[in-house]
Amino acid sequence: MAKLWAIIKREYLERVRSKWFVIATLFGPIFFSAIIIVPAWLSSRSKATSDIYNTAILDATGNGFGHRLALNIAGDSTIPGRMPEVRVIAPAALTQAESLATHQVMQKDKTGYVVVDQQTLAGESARYAGRNATSIADMAQIKSAIRETILASRLEKVGLDNSRMREITFIPLDFSTERITEKGRAGSGMASVMFGFAIGFLLYASIVIYGQTIMSGVLEEKTTRVAEVVMSSVPTDTLLAGKVLGVGAVGLTQQIIWIVTTYILLQLRAPIMAKLGAPTMSFTLPDISLGAGMIFLLFFLFGFIFYSSLFAAVGSSVNSESEARQAASPLMIMIVSTAVFIQPVLLNPTGTTARVLSLVPFSSPIIMPIRMAVIGIPPLELAASLGFLAIGCLVALWLASRIYRVGLLMYGKRPSMREMARWVTYAR
Amino acid sequence: MTEYAIDIVNVTKRYAEHTAVRDLTLRVPSGSVYGLLGPNGAGKTTTIRMILNIIAPDSGTIHIFGRPSSDPKITERLGYLPEERGLYRKMQVKRVLKFLAELKGVKGSEAEVRIDEWLERLSLKTPEKDWGLSKVDELSRGMQQKVQFIGTLLHDPDLVILDEPFSGLDPINAQALKDTVVELKKRGKTVIFSTHLMDNAERLCDSVCIIARGEKVLDGTVTAVKEEHGQRNIALALEGDGMHGIASILSDNSLVKRADDSNRFFEIELVPGGDPQALLRRIVESGASVQRFEMIQPSLHEIFLQKVGAGARAPRAGAGAGGIEEGMTGHG
Repeated sequence: MAKLWAIIKREYLERVRSKWFVIATLFGPIFFSAIIIVPAWLSSRSKATSDIYNTAILDATGNGFGHRLALNIAGDSTIPGRMPEVRVIAPAALTQAESLATHQVMQKDKTGYVVVDQQTLAGESARYAGRNATSIADMAQIKSAIRETILASRLEKVGLDNSRMREITFIPLDFSTERITEKGRAGSGMASVMFGFAIGFLLYASIVIYGQTIMSGVLEEKTTRVAEVVMSSVPTDTLLAGKVLGVGAVGLTQQIIWIVTTYILLQLRAPIMAKLGAPTMSFTLPDISLGAGMIFLLFFLFGFIFYSSLFAAVGSSVNSESEARQAASPLMIMIVSTAVFIQPVLLNPTGTTARVLSLVPFSSPIIMPIRMAVIGIPPLELAASLGFLAIGCLVALWLASRIYRVGLLMYGKRPSMREMARWVTYAR
Repeated sequence: MTEYAIDIVNVTKRYAEHTAVRDLTLRVPSGSVYGLLGPNGAGKTTTIRMILNIIAPDSGTIHIFGRPSSDPKITERLGYLPEERGLYRKMQVKRVLKFLAELKGVKGSEAEVRIDEWLERLSLKTPEKDWGLSKVDELSRGMQQKVQFIGTLLHDPDLVILDEPFSGLDPINAQALKDTVVELKKRGKTVIFSTHLMDNAERLCDSVCIIARGEKVLDGTVTAVKEEHGQRNIALALEGDGMHGIASILSDNSLVKRADDSNRFFEIELVPGGDPQALLRRIVESGASVQRFEMIQPSLHEIFLQKVGAGARAPRAGAGAGGIEEGMTGHG
C-alpha cells in the first residue's frame, strides 16, 4: 500500500509541478471566460452602444427641442458623458455649425451629430451624420427618441402640462425576447444545453489529454528501462493502478480548478460585461444537486479508468511516440466518434441513439452526463449505464494489466493484434 | 540464515517462439560474488528477471534466502541494476532516488539522509555543486550511472543483482563498481552479476555459472571450474642448458601426456590424474636447476570458448557465436 502511494505521489507531483500543467490550468479559465463573454459582448453590438451619448445635437428649432431630445436619448440621465451635447444654433448659422461638427467627427471628438429644425418639429425630417450611421441599433434608438420628442411637443401644444405629458410619454418598456424552435421554448433551456455541452467537452478533453499523458508516461518508463527497476520492486498491477490513479488525480485537480475559477468568473461576469459597455444578461446555472454531482464524478472516474488503462496498455506495447500514435488510433476513434454524437444527443436527449450510446461503456462516460444535464434520467437507466461502465472498466483493466506486464519487457518490433492477444494468455 | 541466497530448481521459461531457459538448476551461496556468464541471448536476463519475480517461470521453483521469490518482503532485500540503464529524465535526481527507495520500503525521511550520504560518497554532492538538485537529463552519462548505482544500493539490499554492470561504464566508474562489489562482499552481502566479460568475472567472482541457449553448461567455484574443465599444464624452465637432461622424464608416458617446447619454456600437459609434485621431484632429483615450475591455469575465457564457443558453432545457434566474439572484443 505504501508502494502504491509512492507511485501515485510521484505521478501526481511530477505532473502538477510541470510548467505545462500550470499553463493549461491557467489557460482553461481564460478560454472558458472567452467562450462566455465574447459571444455576449458580440451580441451586445446589435444593441445601441454608448456611442450615441457622444453625439452633438444641432438645434435650429429655436424652442428647446434639442434639450428634450438629449434627455430622451440619454434615457432621462443627466450624467455628463452619458448625454448628447446640445448646440442651439440660429437657422442661418446651421451650415457653418454642421461643417464644424463634421470636422469634430473626423477628429473623433464626436461620434456624430443630429440636425433638428422646423421640418423636424413638423414631423417631416431630421438628419444624422456620423461614424455609427450604419449601426442599425444606434439609428433606431435616435430615431425613436426624435419621434418621442416630437410627440411630446405636440402634446404640449394641445395644452398638456409638463408632468401629465411625461406621464403619458414615459414608456420604460422592457422588451424581453424568447426564441421558439420546433422543440418548444428554447430560452431557459439554453443554459442547461450549454452546461451539458461544457460537461461533455470537459470529459472528452480530459480523457483525451490524460489518456495520452498516461500512454507517454508508460512509454517513457519502458524506453528508459525504469520500468524494469520499478517492476523488480512492485507488481505490475500496482504500478498500473498507481499511474491511473495518480494521473487521474492530476486531471481531477485541474478540472476542480477550472470549475471553481469558471464559477467565480461567472459571478464576476456582470461587472466585466459592464466594463466592456455591454448590457448584462441574466445567466443562471442549472441547479446541480450533490447527488447528481457525485454521479458526474463517478462517470468521470469510471470513464477515465476505462480509457486510461487501455492507453497504458498501448503505451506498453510500443517502442516510440510515433508507433504509439498509430497504435492508439482505435482508441482515439472510439473517443472522437463519441464526441461527434455530443450535439445530436443534446438536440434529442431522449432518442434511441442517445439511449444506446449512454449504455455502451466506451461512450457512456461522455454521453450520459450530457443527457443528465439536459433531462431527467430514470434511475434504472442510470444504474444500468453505471453498471455496464463498471463492468467495462473491469474488463479493460484486466486486459490492460495483462498486456502491460508483458509489453513493458518486449522490445523490438511492434506487436500485431494477434501477438497482443497471445500476451493476454501468458501466465506472466 | 539459509545457506543459499538463491536456490533455483528445475526452472523452465518458454516463449511462443523459443525456450528462453531450460530446466535450470542453480544455487548461489550466501555472501558470495557470483557470475552468470553466457553469450548474448543465452537466457541470463530471463533468469535474472525470474529471480526478481518480474516474470514467473513456467515450471520449477525459485527461492531467495529460503523464501519463494514471489514473497513481497523478499523484493525489499533485493537490489537490481538492469542492463540497459535509464531514469526518469525530467525528474530531480534526489526525487528519483527517494522514489526508488520508497518502492523498496525505505521511509522518505530515512531515504533523504542516505541519498545525501551516497551523493557525497560518489562526489555528486560537493560544496560547490549539489547534483542531487539537478534534473536527471542535466547529468553526464557517467553521473547518471552513478545515480543508478545509488538507486540500486540505497535500501541496503542483502542480494544485489547486476545485469551486465560493466557495459558502457567508463574506467573510473568500472573501478568504482568493482570496489563496491568487493565492499559489499566484505559486509556479507551476496552479489550476482551477469557478464560476457570473462576478465571481470575471473577477478571478481567466487563462483560462476556458464549458460548457453537457456541451459547450464557448467557451474561451481572459479577454482573448481578451472580444475575440472581446464587442462592442467605446467610451465617449466631450467637454468642453463639443462633441458636435455630431463628428456627421459618428459617422455615418460605414465606421467606426461605431452610436452610442448614453447621456446622459453616447456609447456607440459600431464596425463589425467598425474601429480605435478611427482614431476617436480623427479626433475629436481635429476640434478637440473629449476628456474620456473608453474601450474598454468586456463583462463575462464578459454574455458568459456571451449565450452560455449564450440557448441555455438553447431548449426543450432549460430547467432550465439557472434555474441561471444562481440563480447570478447567489445567493452573493457
